[in-house]
Amino acid sequence: QTISCFPRSFDTSQRNAVLVPAAALGVGGMLVYWFRSGHRIKTLDMGDGWWGSGDRTTFIEIEDKSIHPFKIETSDEEIEDLHRRLDHFRFTPPLERAAFNYGFNSNYLQKVVAYWRNQFDWRKQVEVLNKYPHFHTTIEGIDIHFIHVKPSNVPHGQTVLPLLMVHGWPGSFYEFYKIIPLLTEPARHGLNEGDVVFEVICPSIPGYGFSEAPHRKGFDSIATARIFHKLMSRLGFREFYVQGGDWGSRVTTNMAQMLPQTVKGLHLNLVFLGKQGLGRMIRIMLGAYVPWLVGLSREDARRLYPFMQKNMYDILRESGYLHIQATKPDTAGCGLNDSPVGLAAYILEKFSTWTDKSFLDKDDGGLESKYSLDELLTNVMIYWVTSSIVSSMRYYKENFSKDPDLSAHHRVRVSVPTGIAAFPQELVHTPRVWANDVYRNIISYSYMPSGGHFAAFEEPKLLAQDIMQFVQKVEQL
Amino acid sequence: EFCSSLAGIMLLEVFLVLGTLLIYFLFSKKKEETLPFKDGWWGKGQKPVTKEDTSIRPFKVETTEEELSDLFRRLDQARFTEPLENSCFHYGTNSVYLRKVVSYWKNQFNWKKQVEILNKYPQFKTKIQGIDIHFVHVKPPRLPEGQSAKPLLMVHGWPGSFYEFYKIIPLLTDPASHGLGDEHIFEVICPSIPGYGFSEAPHKKDFNSVSAASVFYELMLRLGFNEFYTQGGDWGWLICTNLAQIAPNHVKGLHLNMVSISKVGLTHLLSVLLGRYFPGLFGFQDEDVRRMFPFLKKGLYRILSESGYAHIQATKPDTVGCGLNDSPVGLAAYILEKFSSWTDMEFQNLEDGGLERKFSLDDLLTNIMIYWVSGCIVSSMRFYKENLQKGIGTQKHEKLTVQVPTGIASFPNEILHIPQAWAKKKYTNLVSFHFMPQGGHFAAFEEPELLAKDILQFVGKVEKEQLWKKK
Repeated sequence: QTISCFPRSFDTSQRNAVLVPAAALGVGGMLVYWFRSGHRIKTLDMGDGWWGSGDRTTFIEIEDKSIHPFKIETSDEEIEDLHRRLDHFRFTPPLERAAFNYGFNSNYLQKVVAYWRNQFDWRKQVEVLNKYPHFHTTIEGIDIHFIHVKPSNVPHGQTVLPLLMVHGWPGSFYEFYKIIPLLTEPARHGLNEGDVVFEVICPSIPGYGFSEAPHRKGFDSIATARIFHKLMSRLGFREFYVQGGDWGSRVTTNMAQMLPQTVKGLHLNLVFLGKQGLGRMIRIMLGAYVPWLVGLSREDARRLYPFMQKNMYDILRESGYLHIQATKPDTAGCGLNDSPVGLAAYILEKFSTWTDKSFLDKDDGGLESKYSLDELLTNVMIYWVTSSIVSSMRYYKENFSKDPDLSAHHRVRVSVPTGIAAFPQELVHTPRVWANDVYRNIISYSYMPSGGHFAAFEEPKLLAQDIMQFVQKVEQL
Repeated sequence: EFCSSLAGIMLLEVFLVLGTLLIYFLFSKKKEETLPFKDGWWGKGQKPVTKEDTSIRPFKVETTEEELSDLFRRLDQARFTEPLENSCFHYGTNSVYLRKVVSYWKNQFNWKKQVEILNKYPQFKTKIQGIDIHFVHVKPPRLPEGQSAKPLLMVHGWPGSFYEFYKIIPLLTDPASHGLGDEHIFEVICPSIPGYGFSEAPHKKDFNSVSAASVFYELMLRLGFNEFYTQGGDWGWLICTNLAQIAPNHVKGLHLNMVSISKVGLTHLLSVLLGRYFPGLFGFQDEDVRRMFPFLKKGLYRILSESGYAHIQATKPDTVGCGLNDSPVGLAAYILEKFSSWTDMEFQNLEDGGLERKFSLDDLLTNIMIYWVSGCIVSSMRFYKENLQKGIGTQKHEKLTVQVPTGIASFPNEILHIPQAWAKKKYTNLVSFHFMPQGGHFAAFEEPELLAKDILQFVGKVEKEQLWKKK
């Protein structure tokens, strides 16, 4: 069944009624968008900023631009404090037969906590984290953390292409640890995608992990994009590729909109689009019956419909975190910075549902079918030891506070060569024809065979192959 | 021949009109049907064959040294995150102010003393539909000759508790001692919603407001009350409304300090767009206009900015509640934020959230402690999912009206203002609707005297009408 009939696509009373308030709110928004979405602008204004604490006393010119290597460390005290909190965790039994439909199932959570307390070895994981070189450098008043991995032996005559990869929430630079070797040493891992070899730079978004959190309001994806441009410039790169999913997709897109001449190619595993206008709504409705008429492929139709179910109902069910983080981040994050188990439940719920929606009906959320507890907990530990959960959540408020349709980056087209890897279990599917509204130079669009939101973490080989074939195409242009 | 066909057409038209009227009449009659009582069994595992124990056992709140030292240990090791410069309460609870609250909590707040205060009113537990229901039951200290106490069921909401009523109870059970007329004296019953405070949490899915109303209905019958008044705000509003729909012959009067509507139609949309300019046309009074407009700011944006908690609790309660049951500071931050914004939205512009302007830290922390010592935050949040997961406006009770005499006290700082014109569509027997001069969402907690007076005048009206009917 490639097409689902639109009227059959929702259980009328239930789904429809969820949409009544949502639609009522949406009507006004749509009208506003329709009337006020102005003409397109060429590039995104870079602007400037300063995020340190207190009064700005130093000029950016005399900012310390040096790059300091550093190693992640831990201490007995840190581990004992963690263990103490794990030992005293207060548990609430789940409802009978709830699986993961009410959120993270606390019966399974107890198993995770037992592993965390007794088998997970943080010191060993810190060594794993330190296997790639880490650095710090101050930009716009805050310390930016990044890893920089160069290929160990480069055959004569081979060019090494710089690639900036940006993570999202609730991920981190650690999501890229499995894909990095496939990109820096493809031959060694059975990927002979021609002569393409990368040196990879993975920064932490300010407020995430080992990057210092901004002390002032207003730190959004545009500020992030500007800071990462400054970083690449400081590292001596005049041209480079960028890759991202989740927030990384928005940041790298902003980078391509800001300085298109420096971004050789933009690769995304998630496409963010602005609110849907009237034209889009009509195309969506038509698409259910005559997908070819509105430029949708069969695979697009399969992934998009039933539309209400997959796009509205599922989004409403999954976006509670986004709503509270975009409005009250300090409240939402407070308890999570104090209870490691609470933090793990909150983060790991996403690694379950966003990897495969059917995992909602599993008692263990299907987590260990795709990931190891060690790697899941290492990512959680990065949020825990850096106390960055609250600042990571503030990013939502800073990015969503301004009316999303009026902010500049939705009106700037992306002319940089773009490659899109569309994973089947991604939260929302964006067909090529819609992505084309913003990304005007899509030279590669792939329907990936398997995988969800955390592409680099879950399907590193598939993602690496797609990045490489995309870059090959760009290099040949 | 022409005339007869014309007559035929006219006759057909008359029949059509009559037929439509008949159908409309039939359908509108349907809306007045009662809501069926929702039976259920919420205990663990299978319902046993033996008959349920229906005894009513006295209950006292207790605490232990262990409970206190565990709390202090967690308060001592709390990990805070510095707020952004100049953010006040715009990003949520300000952690600089939160540190002050935690310091008071550790060093001055006396939980043992507060437990004694909680125990000053008689409390009980009884098993209904498989779970233990906790309630406070306060009888008047004295009754004038020939007068009987009127039973009044008061239901709390989230993130409140039975404790919210501790200041208003004496004004209702002993009005004379507080300068209020003693024409009507109440015996007050404040239960805890299952999953809140000292009421056992349901072990099975699907425990919604109709289930709670059915449980409380059974409670009132078990206590021997055949007729009673009900009062509520927040979830209490919905539960008491449902109770009036289930048992209209037992609920003498329904008093609400909050109203919400779930059926939004064309008239609502039009009144929002044009009500500011033609208030009379839509039945709006000047005060309605003052409170509702500009609509984007006071309606739409407010809903969006304040409903994140409801969205996540209605979808992933076990996830969001997990950390809060483990971190008392996180729990306090989450709950206090509501006591700030829902008392006055302007408090978000204050560094301390304006909390101590209307409440004492002792009162605020006592309410939080009820959630903490009972470990009920997760189950309290599940109530949102059980009520909202099928969407707003889909459930049967939302489509039915309420015919029981209703009184509404409309507080100015309530999150959303619902005008009388809209409330009347649902509460068809609206006996009193008053704009209160001050106060917000937690009416009983913040303005007990104003609320008590409104309840008394409402009951007065209902009782007079009853007497008149009897004559």
